[in-house]
Amino acid sequence: MKKVININFQGTVVPIEESAYDLLRQYIDSLRVYFAEEEGKDEIINDIESRISELFQERLKNGATCITDEDVNAIINNMGRPNDFAEAENAADDSNSKTKGSGSTNQFNWQSYSGRLTRDENNKILGGVCSGIADYLRIDPWIVRILFIISGVGFLAYLILWIFLPSNYSIQTGINKRLYRNPDDRMIAGVCGGIGSYFNVNSWVPRIIFLLPFLSFLFGHGARWIFYPSFTHITLVPSGVLIYIILWIVIPEAKTTSEKLQMKGEKVDLDSIKESVSREMKGVSERMHQMGKNAGQFFKDNGPHMRNEVHQSYRNAGGALGRVITTLVKIFVYIVLGAIAFAILAVVFSLAVVAIGIFPLKDFIVADGWQNALAWLTLIFFIGVPVVGIITFLIRLITRRRSGNNYYRNIGIGLWIFGWICFFALLSFVGRDFKYTSTVQEYSIPLDNPSVNYMQITPIQKPDYRWRSWLTFEPYSTFNITDDTALVPNIRLNIFKSPDTTFSVKYFTVSNGYSKKEADELASKVVYTGYQKDSTFFLSNEITINTHDKFRNQYVEVSIYVPLNHRIKIDNSFLSWGRSQFFVFSKYTPSYDSYSDGYDYQKGVEYIMREDGLNAVNSANSSNLSDSEKKYKYPSPDKVDSLKNDQEKQIQKMQESIDSAKKANKKALKQLQDSLLKQREDINKKLEDLGRKQVSAIHLPEMPSPGVVSPAFFGSI
Amino acid sequence: MNIENTASQMRKGVLEFCILSVIKSGEAYPSEIIDMMKEANLNILEGTLYPLLTRLKNAELLTYRWAESTGGPPRKYFSLTEKGLTFYKELEATWNELSNAVTTITHKNR
Repeated sequence: MKKVININFQGTVVPIEESAYDLLRQYIDSLRVYFAEEEGKDEIINDIESRISELFQERLKNGATCITDEDVNAIINNMGRPNDFAEAENAADDSNSKTKGSGSTNQFNWQSYSGRLTRDENNKILGGVCSGIADYLRIDPWIVRILFIISGVGFLAYLILWIFLPSNYSIQTGINKRLYRNPDDRMIAGVCGGIGSYFNVNSWVPRIIFLLPFLSFLFGHGARWIFYPSFTHITLVPSGVLIYIILWIVIPEAKTTSEKLQMKGEKVDLDSIKESVSREMKGVSERMHQMGKNAGQFFKDNGPHMRNEVHQSYRNAGGALGRVITTLVKIFVYIVLGAIAFAILAVVFSLAVVAIGIFPLKDFIVADGWQNALAWLTLIFFIGVPVVGIITFLIRLITRRRSGNNYYRNIGIGLWIFGWICFFALLSFVGRDFKYTSTVQEYSIPLDNPSVNYMQITPIQKPDYRWRSWLTFEPYSTFNITDDTALVPNIRLNIFKSPDTTFSVKYFTVSNGYSKKEADELASKVVYTGYQKDSTFFLSNEITINTHDKFRNQYVEVSIYVPLNHRIKIDNSFLSWGRSQFFVFSKYTPSYDSYSDGYDYQKGVEYIMREDGLNAVNSANSSNLSDSEKKYKYPSPDKVDSLKNDQEKQIQKMQESIDSAKKANKKALKQLQDSLLKQREDINKKLEDLGRKQVSAIHLPEMPSPGVVSPAFFGSI
Repeated sequence: MNIENTASQMRKGVLEFCILSVIKSGEAYPSEIIDMMKEANLNILEGTLYPLLTRLKNAELLTYRWAESTGGPPRKYFSLTEKGLTFYKELEATWNELSNAVTTITHKNR
């Protein structure tokens, strides 16, 4: 049922459906904008209008009672939309568009107001803010973009400008936009390219969103905490791939030109979303009354927001302040609705992931009978219904079919509520089974040779090689499941100083249960073993739980007592599934409120028990040790001080002895010199005496020098 | 390189020549021109024709007169001016040259 109105179009009366009239008016408005700068634009519009009028007359003559949407769309398709003209203009030689002032690179910059700051919709990556500013300042948009990225406030400023700046694309062409895969802009199947053109953002925006989980992998384990907690992180990667593949299958490829135009079609940007949200809000309150306070409603309602709605420009919205306020309100509403929808989606999604991850463990947790039935009901209705709902919603969104029937939706919501009930019932039933905690039951493991000097703690079995790839669900890697037994590493290791001179090993078991008695029974059933072989002590890495006894948080705490000056090392493979799981106490008796220093100790490092606790033993590979280990290898600060004093004293002593030795040396040297000088004088004296005697007796040949005459010379004479 | 783009550029280049050619053979109104082009298998969007006609008219290559039509709004019948005729002849000469050249080249290299 449609309302038909009569319009006076180019001098003739035309009966036309109201919606068709809206289409026509929008089309002509868009033409008016497109030809705004063209010389003789009125004439062109007039020509086109009269041609359309002619075509209307033709249709009416052929027996049509009024002009319908299809008629108008057919005519518009024939005539071409501004986009098509722009394409043609772009392709054409410049001489054809002499009168068009736009010399810029973007396709149809037909509304670039000189001197008015607007968002440039035609050359945009996200919101066209940078491009608009660049246009205003007449510089390259990339300069502005880079400045925005470099400056820290860029993002916030961008958002604010996005909200406040009017778009220069104020007229919609009235095409119904559809989601297609874009064959011209694709990496794999053109899904992201299509999404990009659907939301009119750069196709790298959806691509990056799809790639985020992968990127977090590239940046290593540290970065994944930035993006997601590790659990979701691991499951998001395959789901990203899955969603991509689903989209690939469901979305058709834009093959013909008209499909490509539809793909680019009307803008679904922030403005039109804001607009559609405000419309939706009117309906929401009514429906809320109708449907009761079901959160699923929001989720369902959010669909239409994304749906394509005819966008009303803000040109006629009155004062700028009014526009800003309405925009802000709309954005606020949109953000709130979006956040709620997103939160529900995320919760359901993560619950689905958890459920799928944990479900193989069901038999170990859930008792038979009622609980088992509840577990299945929870899986089907609590997890399954929303998943089916999301898929239906997505398909509807893509095929652009409105859900004409509330019947299925109500059934779906009812089933989901039932799922919630099952979920909470299951939680409370299972929770009740965990309600009581057993008394602590302590055992000790006998040692063959408790007086060894060194002990290495090693798991009994080397753990199986487990896939740690990105497809692994974390619960699987924590719980080692075979058909009827699960190995649960619910173990903690404590190291104490032994009260005597021998090693000893004790453990205690605790369990939860439906009753105190059952808990005690389960605790006593826990099998935990260990044995010694030379200096190696083998300990179980896990607690075994079977489907009959169920997992009721059975827990084992092992305590190893290390005597003074004895060494201990925890093998790297012991309790290797998680963080460092051992704790050290320097006291003889455990006190469970202070084991914070346990994290300073590491596996694979040899420690020695001293008066003040465990100290790392110096080993050959000391260079491999981390700082925290090194600190145990060096003496404490006061020890360092006393050592320093000792050394200084020694140095002083040595200095003194050196000084005294020097003095002694000097003395000896002087004495030697003196005696030598004396001797020399004596010899000279003797020679003089001799010389005088010889001269008086015989005439001898002249002596070279009296000083060098040796006694032998005299002897030879 | 986009095939669509190149093809539409080619078409665009000869569009004015074709329009002038249609009008030269006798007075014509826009939908007639479109029909003739469709017959000749030269598909253009009707919407692009009107601005082109207006431009040609503003360049004083074309002139028009109004004529009543049966059961519709009055039609604009376009005809060539003197200037338009010389313009057309120049274009025709160019086209023949170009057409010959293209044929020769494409046939030689076949």
